[in-house]
Amino acid sequence: MTWDRVAIVEQQLDRYLESAEPASARLPADAPLTEAGGLTAGAALALFEDQLTSRQLDVAARELKKTNRSFYTIGSAGHENNAVVGARLRVDDPAFLHYRSGGFVMARARQLAGSTPTLDTLLGVVASSQDPISQGRHKVWGSRPMWIPPQTSTIASHLPKAMGLAFSLARARRLRVETELPSDALVVVSFGDASANHATALSGINTARYAVRMGLPMPILFVCEDNDTGISVPTPEGWIASSFGNLPHLRYFLADGELDEVWTAVDAAVEYVRVSRQPAFLHLRTVRLWGHAGSDAEQSYRSMAEIARIEARDPLLRNARRLVELGVATPAQLRDLVRDTRARVQAVAEEAARRPRLQTTEEVVAPMAPDHPDRVAAEGRRPQVNTEVRVGSFGGHLPEEATLPTARTLAGCLNAALADELLRRPELIVFGEDVGRKGGVYGLTSGLQKRFGPARVFDTLLDETSILGIAQGAAHIGLLPVPEIQYLAYVHNAIDQLRGEAASLQFFSSGQFRNPMVVRVAGLAYQKGFGGHFHNDNSIGALRDIPGLVLAVPSRGDDAARMFRGAVAMAREDGRVVVFLEPIALYHERDLHVEGDAGWLVDYPPPPDLLLPGEVGVHGATDEDADVLLVSYANGLRLSLQAAKRLADEHDLRVRVLDLRWLNPLPTDAIRQHAADVGTVVVVDECRATGGGVADAVVADLAEHRVGRRWSSVRAVDSFVPLGPATAAVLVGVDQIVSTAVAAVGRRRTATSNS
Amino acid sequence: MTRAAVAFPGPGSYGPRSLGTLPAEHRWVRAADAIRADLGLPPLAEIDAADRFDPAVHLRPANGWPLIFLAGLLDAERIADDHEVVVAVASSVGWYTALAAAGVLDVADAFRVVQQLGLAAEEPLEAGPTAELVYPLTDAAWEAVPDRRAAVDAALEHADDGVVPALELGSHVVLGGLSSALGEIAATLPSVTVGSRTFPFEAAGHGWHTPHRALSAARAREGLGELRWQRPNVALVDDRGVRHTPWSADTSALAEGALVRQPSTTFNFASAFRVALREYAPDVVLLPGPGASLGGACAQLIVGEGYRGIRSRQELEHTQAGRSPILLSMRR
Repeated sequence: MTWDRVAIVEQQLDRYLESAEPASARLPADAPLTEAGGLTAGAALALFEDQLTSRQLDVAARELKKTNRSFYTIGSAGHENNAVVGARLRVDDPAFLHYRSGGFVMARARQLAGSTPTLDTLLGVVASSQDPISQGRHKVWGSRPMWIPPQTSTIASHLPKAMGLAFSLARARRLRVETELPSDALVVVSFGDASANHATALSGINTARYAVRMGLPMPILFVCEDNDTGISVPTPEGWIASSFGNLPHLRYFLADGELDEVWTAVDAAVEYVRVSRQPAFLHLRTVRLWGHAGSDAEQSYRSMAEIARIEARDPLLRNARRLVELGVATPAQLRDLVRDTRARVQAVAEEAARRPRLQTTEEVVAPMAPDHPDRVAAEGRRPQVNTEVRVGSFGGHLPEEATLPTARTLAGCLNAALADELLRRPELIVFGEDVGRKGGVYGLTSGLQKRFGPARVFDTLLDETSILGIAQGAAHIGLLPVPEIQYLAYVHNAIDQLRGEAASLQFFSSGQFRNPMVVRVAGLAYQKGFGGHFHNDNSIGALRDIPGLVLAVPSRGDDAARMFRGAVAMAREDGRVVVFLEPIALYHERDLHVEGDAGWLVDYPPPPDLLLPGEVGVHGATDEDADVLLVSYANGLRLSLQAAKRLADEHDLRVRVLDLRWLNPLPTDAIRQHAADVGTVVVVDECRATGGGVADAVVADLAEHRVGRRWSSVRAVDSFVPLGPATAAVLVGVDQIVSTAVAAVGRRRTATSNS
Repeated sequence: MTRAAVAFPGPGSYGPRSLGTLPAEHRWVRAADAIRADLGLPPLAEIDAADRFDPAVHLRPANGWPLIFLAGLLDAERIADDHEVVVAVASSVGWYTALAAAGVLDVADAFRVVQQLGLAAEEPLEAGPTAELVYPLTDAAWEAVPDRRAAVDAALEHADDGVVPALELGSHVVLGGLSSALGEIAATLPSVTVGSRTFPFEAAGHGWHTPHRALSAARAREGLGELRWQRPNVALVDDRGVRHTPWSADTSALAEGALVRQPSTTFNFASAFRVALREYAPDVVLLPGPGASLGGACAQLIVGEGYRGIRSRQELEHTQAGRSPILLSMRR
């Protein structure tokens, strides 16, 4: 007697097919299985084939694992009725699939001539560089020609972007942006019953319903594949139906039972979404066979009797019985099919295992962060707007005509830059909390909705996860989203949308899918009169830690306008995800040293002038006689310039100040060059001392490359930012910069004199 | 038992060395010649028995296509028992051989189809004479040359609507259309010499697999009456790379593909063969006759796919010379 559950389930099907009697009459291929249903005998057999192939892919993955040739054993066994969803939708209905979607993918591939889903799937399982979607970077369900953007889907983080794409279909058409998708396309997104509890899942579903309430089209089919279990934890009975069965603005469909019954329910749900352009929740009842993954010892949390009961509900067994009983096929035919599929998939698995794998670091990271500065610069200069149109849009006066004393603040420059990019790029959309009618909490988007219309500049609900989900979905189909996250602290509420999803898309799809975007975030500390951590957050480590993410942090208004254009061009040309972090405290700052000096006002640089990563700002002593180099960014730049003046006035020191502008990737070449020139370096980092800010990175890079002679830093205290005057106790101040610089120069002099 | 794929050849495969290979007394040959007699066509047994190869006789679709059909089918019948055929593909009108071999049509019906279509291909077109243009897409080492595909695509973009890739072989593309339009395209494609032949190479062509033959095929269909289409007894991969299995094949789709789509659209053998390799993982590829000309295209597709770790011409030739060749021609 075997305890191998794979063998037991396989034998269960074999035994049935050996012992079953054929039906007395055969059903012709074009006859429906039941009088009421739409599933024909021919289509049912095709579905059963796809389900069998999916099942054998799971078997093959586990077999290959035994000889260490596969790296992924999370399977679809028990979920194969999702093939019905795959068959009922079209290849141009974008599909965001969870990891048990073998049946769906086999059925969808049937609709695409020349597709090879068996080998493609196994190439993913063996992590081959020939896997057509991830090229060996992950086992994902994905395909460019079948419109399946790859997901890892482990934490339901794909629901918000699926919702975002559904929202964007109509929006793109309204803006006349080509999407390659037909006007009646719908989006499908699948997830498990346990995953349905994730905040991200609830975010996506909630926002879809909210859209209906707002009168917006939201053609999305949520498919909850309910196998009653989250790894080892049972889902309470009836949880999914009771949680999602009666929600306003979300039509609920239950798909359960035999193949033809599942077809009828799926058919109704698809039709509802297709026609009404409103969201539906398809509750697809499944079972999970063979544990969560190959490594999961199901016996440790389920009794054998329980496991056997679940196995008795194997959908392949049930479907086989249905096909035989209704005369769709004879047991002998199905025996042949099973035997043929097993041999076929096994042979294909052996072929997959021979295929090459990624070898080098270069191969692995190749698609992660495309970087073509020349092409980006050219792209940034390309969109032309007639001067008359600009003059009209800006109300008769171009922003660059305003010079001292009416020159612009950082907020003024960014507002004008946003307007210019909206003028230059019809696919660009601006959205977030309060950005529309109010024009942003700090007025950054003031007047833009009126000028460019609510289709392009719009308010969203208060949910950062959904804002970033909308951005991703919109970007998938050719829109260029510029979402705003109101405060840096709020990014952390939704950061996985950037980390796990947006930034990883090119990596996991080998650059075949991209979601270019520029995420504007208001942040950092030093606000006068508006205190507390959540509006003064200075933690950027979580952003700097995301592979491939570009982090831009302007300080001056003119830089901000040019950097914004660079960021947009990078998104457009290289598909990059850019976070554009704007220092709130400098938005409306006018002065540098003393009140009324207007030292922080600038002239607006008209388009298409732009800045790209690596291009730093240099202030103060630019000759080689400088005594100290202050390396900083954002508020730190202004503080450093103030400190530089005092160091000159009070200590007779010549100071060069370097504005990094880009914190990811860091402009290391420029930093090294200036450090080599000056020798003594003080990094002024307004972010938390050990929070993954730039000070550690800059000092380490200079030390490792033995550039410069002395390296010091001033950093904010490892603390949340308190309210009121106490902020000064944790943030970097000018006194601190001055004393550190003086000490550093002193030490240098000492070191020199000792040598 | 080895898993075998079978690749049936198309027009051009019946050459001088094929003469005299048809067993005149075989029931299929006699049945075929009876059908031809009714149509006033000379017996194939006689044509095959000619002393010398005459392109005007042997390459005529009304003669050549039926010859290819019978030769291929006779070879398929003698595939040894130690091969389990898991999938069949075909090049161009070799598809009708595949349909008969897989039992989709019985032999007589399949023969009538190929005979009628062969006649249809000879109908003069009002638009003028047709031709074919052959152009290589790989170099002497069988490496793909993307520039050549780009040149073909660019040429087609500016060409007359009726010029299309008639046959995609992977190693070569065969463009089909009106002679006049093809002449213009030939002038724009960079000249390439492979071995002793210079490309683009213009060949006689009948406009098959181009829109020009849609009407001819429609007329031929009228003459065919009702045909009995069955599910295949082995998986088939068609001209677009679509799989048709013994269990779920849609017979009306097979009929539509064979009689409506294929005569007037691109036949993508490269896609079909690639799907056969990737989805059926055969141990060997059997090449029924006539001739062995499809072997070259198959070999290059195997190398292009890196199938079984064979990633170069040299590796393929090494495999072929070894104890377990992957390509087995039935006409050596």
